[in-house]
Amino acid sequence: MTEPLPAREAPADPALRRAALLFAATLAAVAAGPFVLDAYTVNILIRALLYAVVALTVDVLWGYTGILTFGQSAFFGIGAYAAGLAFTHLGFSPGVAVLALVGGIAAAGLVGALVGWLAFGYGVTPIYVSVITLVLPIVVTQLLFSGGTFTGSSSGLSGFDTLDISIEAWFWLAGGACATLTFLAWIALRSDAGRLLVAIRENEGRCQYLGIDTARLKIGLMALSAAVAAVAGYLYAGFTDVIAPELAGFVFGTQIVIWVALGGRGTLIGPVVGAVVIEVVSAYLSGELPYVWNLVIGAVFVLVIVAAPGGAAAMVRRLWIWTGRGRARAGPGPAIEVVPAAGGGPLPDEALALEDVSRRFGSLAVLQGVSFRVRPGELLSLVGPNGAGKTTLMRCIADGTERSGGGVRIGGHAVGRGPPAECVAYGLGRKFQTANVFDGLTVAESLRVARARRETPSLWRRSATLRLPAAAARVVAATGLDERLADEVVHLSHGLKQALELAMVLALEPRVVLLDEPTAGLTKPERTLIGTILTDLVASERLCVVLVEHDLDFVRQISSRIIVLHQGRVALDGSVAEVVGSELVRSIYAGEPQALAEA
Amino acid sequence: MTRITTRLGLLLGVLLLGTAGARAQETIRIGIPVGLSGANSVVAPSVVQSAELAVEEINARGGVLGHKLALEVADDGSGAAGAQKAFDSLVFQKKVNALISMETSAARNAGLPIVARAKVPYIYTSFYEGRSCSPYMYVDAWVPDQQVAPIVDYFMKEKGAKTFFLIGSDYAFGRGMLDFTREYIKKTGGRVLGEEYQPMDASDWTAVISKVRSAAPDAIITSTAGGAPNVTLTKQMRAAGLRSLYGNLAVDEGTAKSMGADGDGIFISASYITGIDSPANKTFLAAMQKKFGSDLKTPNDLSVPQYEAVYLYKAAVEKAGSTKPDAVLKALPEVAFDGPRGRIQMSKQHHTPLTMYLGQVQADGSVKVLKSFKDVDPGDQCPKLP
Amino acid sequence: MTAQILDVLTTAAMLFIVCLGLQIVYGVMRIINFAHAAFLTIGGYSALVAAQLGLNPWLALPFAGLVGLVLGALVERLIVRPLYARPLDAILATWGLGIVIGQLVTIGFGREVQFVPSPVQGTVEVAGATYSLYRLLLVLGAGLLGLAVAALLSGTRFGLVTRAVIMNESLAEGLGINSGLVRFACFSVGAGLASLAGAAITPLSSVDPNMGVPWLVGAFMLVMVSGASLRSLALATLLLGGAQVLISAYASPVLGGLTIVVLAAVILRLRPKGLALD
Repeated sequence: MTEPLPAREAPADPALRRAALLFAATLAAVAAGPFVLDAYTVNILIRALLYAVVALTVDVLWGYTGILTFGQSAFFGIGAYAAGLAFTHLGFSPGVAVLALVGGIAAAGLVGALVGWLAFGYGVTPIYVSVITLVLPIVVTQLLFSGGTFTGSSSGLSGFDTLDISIEAWFWLAGGACATLTFLAWIALRSDAGRLLVAIRENEGRCQYLGIDTARLKIGLMALSAAVAAVAGYLYAGFTDVIAPELAGFVFGTQIVIWVALGGRGTLIGPVVGAVVIEVVSAYLSGELPYVWNLVIGAVFVLVIVAAPGGAAAMVRRLWIWTGRGRARAGPGPAIEVVPAAGGGPLPDEALALEDVSRRFGSLAVLQGVSFRVRPGELLSLVGPNGAGKTTLMRCIADGTERSGGGVRIGGHAVGRGPPAECVAYGLGRKFQTANVFDGLTVAESLRVARARRETPSLWRRSATLRLPAAAARVVAATGLDERLADEVVHLSHGLKQALELAMVLALEPRVVLLDEPTAGLTKPERTLIGTILTDLVASERLCVVLVEHDLDFVRQISSRIIVLHQGRVALDGSVAEVVGSELVRSIYAGEPQALAEA
Repeated sequence: MTRITTRLGLLLGVLLLGTAGARAQETIRIGIPVGLSGANSVVAPSVVQSAELAVEEINARGGVLGHKLALEVADDGSGAAGAQKAFDSLVFQKKVNALISMETSAARNAGLPIVARAKVPYIYTSFYEGRSCSPYMYVDAWVPDQQVAPIVDYFMKEKGAKTFFLIGSDYAFGRGMLDFTREYIKKTGGRVLGEEYQPMDASDWTAVISKVRSAAPDAIITSTAGGAPNVTLTKQMRAAGLRSLYGNLAVDEGTAKSMGADGDGIFISASYITGIDSPANKTFLAAMQKKFGSDLKTPNDLSVPQYEAVYLYKAAVEKAGSTKPDAVLKALPEVAFDGPRGRIQMSKQHHTPLTMYLGQVQADGSVKVLKSFKDVDPGDQCPKLP
Repeated sequence: MTAQILDVLTTAAMLFIVCLGLQIVYGVMRIINFAHAAFLTIGGYSALVAAQLGLNPWLALPFAGLVGLVLGALVERLIVRPLYARPLDAILATWGLGIVIGQLVTIGFGREVQFVPSPVQGTVEVAGATYSLYRLLLVLGAGLLGLAVAALLSGTRFGLVTRAVIMNESLAEGLGINSGLVRFACFSVGAGLASLAGAAITPLSSVDPNMGVPWLVGAFMLVMVSGASLRSLALATLLLGGAQVLISAYASPVLGGLTIVVLAAVILRLRPKGLALD
């Protein structure tokens, strides 16, 4: 892949410069800390900063990716016990220290991946991950309790030999680690790859239909955040010289979520500040008022969740804007660069084939024995009265797990029982009936997410250009989306959202495009525009388009072939003229106010 | 952001140091990390009360070496993380001269590295599973070696029990107590028919009780986590109609009293029972009643050692002639105090030989002392310490 | 053997009673009420207050149910209502509410373990086994409660609209059903049942500010596994509760304590619908 011209990067990124300055200032503050703070505060801060690292991982998982986890404490505990157990039973030496660190990271990463594998299977409910992360700390804690003298059971272990560095050095280590990780996470999350996580949070189904293996991404993220939490736990045990089951427990796990919520989820800095401030303040106050303190934290937490889900960070931002110091920063969008088509060799003779596809819900058969083949360059419309099974058929083509029987081939590849991402890999693109987009991303970001399958996004950089294939670029230009590339999708009109989704699907460079009522809710000129674009694409790029549409005028104008579905079966398959003149169609549509033949 | 906390920390630190520095000159400050919240919060108020009485009495008689005593109480949340905060705060912020605390084992373990770093004398006043050793820590409460024998001996010799069933919560104290009990029963010729543990927060003992029922032992000995697990187990055993001899190693007098009918007949073993018939105990109870009136939390086997420990610390400071940690630590095992539990001297490997009492809960909730065992030895708790 | 069968039955009954309120809330609203544990605790303390007022121990049960109902109604209005569209946030808010209730109970009643007199004492002979009478009554109670809730859901107009909301909320609204009111009623009834359950387990458990917590995760898993159906819940409590009893008996009670959560997690992975029968 060609890198964009360096000149495009040159206009320095002001946000990046501000963040780098803040990072440098924080490092300076960390360096000066031990000299201006008393020993007690330094002690408290070291622990708080390590907690903040765990809070950071929870924010990445929950705030950015939408995975609510109660179990991050378990990974913290695994890291802590790796250190404590190794130092207690093997004695301390640099070799053992490294071994314990590697062991802790590996164990946490593996458990994290296992949790991810359990939680992110296709079709598993999204709430399951919260369930399994709830179970995890309970199981880990119970194992620690049952470990007898090996784990120290409920009393934990303490007084083992540990890394003998001064308290100042610990402070620098914890502060440096926390600040660096926060900065790195910030860079990664605003990068093109980082936007994928937000896309998953906003609309995971759309991601899967853009060919992104969200399960693998989430499993990887789970393992990575588990490993980071384990490192924090390892340092915690090394510093405090103590390990205890509560470090891995459910209560600590929920406490982290509270810090993140109060600090402001999805902001990185909010949760880090939240964890540190709450921990430090509680160290000063909780001794005086233990019950009242928990009561206050609990009440504030409920209040924030109900009334201010953005937490403190959102309030600060609002205040910032209110005082007139914040300004809208939706500058000009990136320049669009048209990429040449990937060109996957000669086109096969068959773009899409269905053989005897059926779908049953219990005893109800919605589709039965549906078979047809579509060639490249055909624009096929599926029509039929309500309940004929049109949308179900689209689902069965685009998602291997949906059909009850029969087979589907896309571009010559047999689709097994694979999830949508597999169908997309064979060259399929699907546009849904109602605009299915990412409300929280900008237009440009959405289109980049759609390109992620073709061009691996950078983990640390935001590209300055938007690379799109000609077809997608044409939709963007023709609908005026190119003027709004930097706008958040949530602000777009209904018609523009539809156009954006179409552009996203075309950005995949698909060979087969499924469109479910692409013109629903559009104005007449918009409809005409979409129709022109579609027929052009079919003609110029030999795209295969399968369309479900109620607007029969539109169908007649653009189709090269029509299939009539009736009661889950193919009733008629032919050219526009053949179908329109058919007696059968007339009888099927009898009673429908807008019958096909009369349209 | 760090800068904001830094400033906040600085501000608080300056305020606290400022006020603390002025007092440190004339008073000797004793830190009490204790579980005001969490599992120990039921018993913690009684512990604080007895320490307050000791300090008041000592100050009324002129203090220690002419200095007044003062208490600094900090909540340890009954756990490791909270204990680190509490110990840090007491040692580094309040700069106490000594620590005297009744805590969970997890909290004690979490505090020990901080104690070692600051080299502060530390008296631990809670009974526990034993074998926790630190040159800075002395213990004036019982360990399994002292507590188990009275109950087992009584069951075997006086009641003719031969077979036992042991039930515990799966945590350090539960396991530690029953490990010792099992070995002791075997050594003295009894038979253990079964030994079952439940997770610490378990509230349903169905399966365990069924096992006990089918084993039909002469006696049951339990060592659960205090509070709820203890109560649920007792209630469910009673509801199931189990009527074997029942020795409970974890129940305190107050809880046993409040169990009402379910508590009737339980055997307990303790170094302190309110019914101890000695002048020292009667004076102590009267002074507590006078000081706290209707707010009084009934003194118990966890609060009385706290009271005595303050006096032991006073004696050690007087013997050492200063509050210098080294000198006080050297003096602590050499001094003795005659308190409500009798003569207390932490002379055996940082632990204390104690007079133990066997009691039985009566139908009216009172605990009747059946027998006492004088100066029971704590055994080899810390052979590496002098 | 008889005793073991009774253990399984009574354990399942106890779990069923404890889960019922949580399931009603989850079934109708798809919201996990993490304050369920706090409502169990409220039930325990309601029984305590009833005893202190000198009420008959049997009357403590409806009394606790009423207290839960009223508090549940209050909580729905103030906290849960704004969160219907945000189910994850509802989990968190109800969890926070649980903390608040726990602390208020601690401040009001103290942290120590309290005792509530049991309505019945003693044991009975069942097929050669001596068994706790109260536990046997729990089986009867679970059956009656289950039937009562089933009758409420299938035999009354309230049940009809509730089922309509469960099946298709927007359609139900289109038919003129006030789904907000249905949710309000369901949450209140769920909280009332939780509180009733808390009072019902007091004879076998202690009354303390955290008494509900050990039940929470198990109940939560059982409800996840059984979905919205009462029959599935009965099946799940019998299967998983039974597994817990047997594993405790033949392997170790510590493993037994993990049985429900681990089995439920595995079942949900293999079959996202869980044990739901329909």
